[in-house]
Amino acid sequence: MMGWGKQLAHRLRSSFADSRMDRELEAEMAAHLELAMEENLRRGLSPEEARRQALLRFGGVEQAKQQQREARGLSGFGRIAESVVQDLTYGLRMLRKKPAFTAVAILTLALGVGANTAMFSIVNAVLLRSLPYRDPDRLVRVMFNEPGLGLRDLTYSKPEVDDLTTRTDVFEQVTPLAGGNVAMSGVRQAERLELAVTGFDYFSILGAVPEIGRVYGRQDYDPGFSQNIVISDEFWRREFGGDRNVLGRTIRLDGDPSTIVGVLPPEFRHPGVTVAGNVDVWAAAGFSADPFPKPVRGQRSLNAGMIGRLRPGITLAQAQVRLSAMANQLRRDFPADYPAQAQWTIEIRPLQEFLVGDVRPMLLALQGAVVLIVLIVSLNIANLLLARASGRQQEMAVRLALGATRRRMIRQMLTESLLLSFVGGIAGIFTAIAGLHFLMRFVPLNIPRLNEVRIDSIVLAFALLISILTGLIFGLAPALQSSKVCISSAIREGGRGSGYSTKTGRVRDALIVSELALAVMLMVGAGLLLRTLRDLLHENPGFNPTQVVAANVWIPVPDNPDQDPYRGPTAKIAFDRELLRRLKTIPGVDLAAITTDLPTTNHKLNDPLGNQALIIEGRPVETTQDLRAERIRISPDYFRLMQAPLLSGRSFTDDDGEGKQPVAIVDESTARRYWPDGDPIGRRVRFGQDPAAPWRTIVGIVKDIKSDGLDIDGVPHIYVSAFQDPWRSQSVVLRTSLPAATLESQIRHEVASIDPNLPVFGVTAMNDLIDHSLAARRFSAQLVGAFAVLALLLASIGIYGLLAYMVGQRSREIGVRMALGAGQGDVLKLFLHKGLVLAGVGITVGVVFSASTASLIASLLYGVHPHDLAVFLSVPALLFAVAMLASYFPARRATKVDPMIALREV
Amino acid sequence: MLLWSSHRRWMRVSDSKLDLLQGTLDLMVLQTLASMGRLHGYGIARRIEQVSGEQILLNQGTIYASLVRLQERGWITAEWGTSENNRKAKFYSITKKGRKQLAQDAAYWQRLSGVMTRVLALEEGGGE
Repeated sequence: MMGWGKQLAHRLRSSFADSRMDRELEAEMAAHLELAMEENLRRGLSPEEARRQALLRFGGVEQAKQQQREARGLSGFGRIAESVVQDLTYGLRMLRKKPAFTAVAILTLALGVGANTAMFSIVNAVLLRSLPYRDPDRLVRVMFNEPGLGLRDLTYSKPEVDDLTTRTDVFEQVTPLAGGNVAMSGVRQAERLELAVTGFDYFSILGAVPEIGRVYGRQDYDPGFSQNIVISDEFWRREFGGDRNVLGRTIRLDGDPSTIVGVLPPEFRHPGVTVAGNVDVWAAAGFSADPFPKPVRGQRSLNAGMIGRLRPGITLAQAQVRLSAMANQLRRDFPADYPAQAQWTIEIRPLQEFLVGDVRPMLLALQGAVVLIVLIVSLNIANLLLARASGRQQEMAVRLALGATRRRMIRQMLTESLLLSFVGGIAGIFTAIAGLHFLMRFVPLNIPRLNEVRIDSIVLAFALLISILTGLIFGLAPALQSSKVCISSAIREGGRGSGYSTKTGRVRDALIVSELALAVMLMVGAGLLLRTLRDLLHENPGFNPTQVVAANVWIPVPDNPDQDPYRGPTAKIAFDRELLRRLKTIPGVDLAAITTDLPTTNHKLNDPLGNQALIIEGRPVETTQDLRAERIRISPDYFRLMQAPLLSGRSFTDDDGEGKQPVAIVDESTARRYWPDGDPIGRRVRFGQDPAAPWRTIVGIVKDIKSDGLDIDGVPHIYVSAFQDPWRSQSVVLRTSLPAATLESQIRHEVASIDPNLPVFGVTAMNDLIDHSLAARRFSAQLVGAFAVLALLLASIGIYGLLAYMVGQRSREIGVRMALGAGQGDVLKLFLHKGLVLAGVGITVGVVFSASTASLIASLLYGVHPHDLAVFLSVPALLFAVAMLASYFPARRATKVDPMIALREV
Repeated sequence: MLLWSSHRRWMRVSDSKLDLLQGTLDLMVLQTLASMGRLHGYGIARRIEQVSGEQILLNQGTIYASLVRLQERGWITAEWGTSENNRKAKFYSITKKGRKQLAQDAAYWQRLSGVMTRVLALEEGGGE
């Protein structure tokens, strides 16, 4: 035997030297024929006969050449390449010959692959790609929990921050993430910026490199706030026009001079929560001097939010074990600071999971929807190809008879399909590039990491994979089908079609059934999401948002409390009363009120103590487990303005001010929850564990207001009077018939005339705020809804196409039936029956699949059960009706068959 | 229609002449070269036809596929030369490896044909 190396060399040589070998073979054959002719001449034949005999004995020059070529190089590259090129040219010719089919196929593929690619580019950027920080796998989010009270991600104190690096060795570095509103003053009217307050190791933890200047670090240490700040690229361009001399410039933040030392690159994003929009300014603090409270263990007033970088080599599980042990030790060491029933502990989660975990179900559901769509598209094309393949049976038979192998024919058919899917895929990538911009306009902005979305090599690879997969799906069935052609019968039939052959028929039936089943799944998903959205839009928020305009005001916190004009409650209360008095004088404003918890917004970030443990007077400690409530500070007119009905007791009045008895109002569900068998009015509650905090007497019960978002239930709320317990971050609400845009300047003017250093921001109609809070749900519901409509359309086209084809194929049979006395009704029934059986089976399969997978999107639903009866009844009914319609038209055409013509065609 | 008639004719022809069994042509070529020495393609084809007593249905063209196959396996070599009528022709000779292969294959065929003969004789005897 020849060594494999030699064999390979020979194959290589033969493939490269193909043309040379062809020439040699021709010369050799010519010599052969001449020798044969000469011998024939010697035998006395005429020259003509000698030549004829020689050729006859040789037996087909071209055939011999082909044989020799096939023998040479066995499976040489050349031969394969040659046949691939052949297949491709042939495939292209076939596609060009059927422009309508090709256009439909490529268009639907482009849409299917394009939608998949665009969606995947978002999924890839948000969920799959590592966070854009140094060694992102070692970044964790640290949370302080009190499982005993059912509280998670609590506020913490400075000593607890230090414990993480001094009492255990799991972290390289940690940093608190705080911040929220900050007022930039001194230039014109004060402007509100988004501020991130971090530790000095923040940038080193994330591995951030500045665009210009430097980032702050330990050398900037200050027990309070460092004067050195870093700004975002966006803020730099907006405020300073991208001036490179910005370094060293000083701006006033909440009254304090702050020096810009660096500008971050445009793609840098803060890995934490913000009040509204991206962070403009980063400031570092030591968290242990003014304006921060004294670093006392029990003074847990630092905003929830802490990240850390694990030491290399330590796993998340190991780190968690050590942190839990450390928390146990702390509880033993400081029993006064950690009440036993709270079970205070520390939890870590991968930062990436923490940042994108909330949007994961939605993005995965959308990706699932587009995958379903592309499957339906492939099945539809498979059906078209199959119909075409039946039309090509004769061609296939002739090719088989001429000596093509079945394998070669499968390859030919697959090449055609893959060619189609490849062209469709390329078109799909362009669709995705064009469509992504369009899609991004509708993607709700509260999805994190959207700035990282782009079409990169991974996305392109995915697009390629999807198109190849679709090509295989829609290519395989017709290819296998066509190779099963029976030569003699197909040729004899001569393409006139003796009827709807059972074998092809079964494959096509299966395709239609799968298509319908997939359509059902998409439609059920869309139905559930749309129902959720509709319910939420009709959900009674507990107040009347129409003709309410909201605006936010921020009262700055200077570093030095002595320079704070709003130190202590008195000054803030005075400001609030004055502000309300002025706002009410604006023409067109009927009522004005203050709240610290504007419904459906994220302002709690500025209120770390907003969600706190609650103590009910007279209740033993062991029964106070899982007592907590959100504290909302409101001015007296709030409920009247929001038109939230008071159920019993009274609302706050202007008299519920400083020095008077502290009062509170609970909402209905809080009352039912904490006072299940008694009237809460007259009872007293206290927030937090500080024994010095005042007891507040409950004076009223109000109907529930959905202040955390329309789709969030179960958070107990306790309202307190803003005139007794004011807060720096607050919103004003106005009941007015004027639009927000008209009122904005007047609100600004009234605030500025009291204090020009207070920024006003986010002047919006309450209805728009609610609308905005539903953006993600609306986006996903409408997108899936659009896909469901598309699926319905494709499925009905599928049924229609199949039946129309059947009618064409069986027209002779119909003719015979009618000639033998079948009425139009019988023929109509025959085809309607076929369509309805297919629809019935497909829908049933789809319902079963939907029922078993619907719980996957349960987290996206609100108030709608994953097996919602209305959806599960209406989707099959709708699809069935459409299928019936799609079957009716071809069936009716069948009744129009003229038996005479149909029979004559035989 | 054309296909059908040609198909039938092929069937008739093959009734009277022996169809080549898979792989037999290669062996014949090797044997021919072993016994005749250097030969060109036409010579090989003619020689096989003569030896078989014109009983074999051989499209002479098929010999070239066999030749290239044998060449690829290194059992024969080829070089251009001049034929008896002073034409340029490709001449083939068997290699040492080819002779070894021939010995092996010939032994195999002899065994096989021996077995076949015995089996067929048995069949006839048992049938009657």
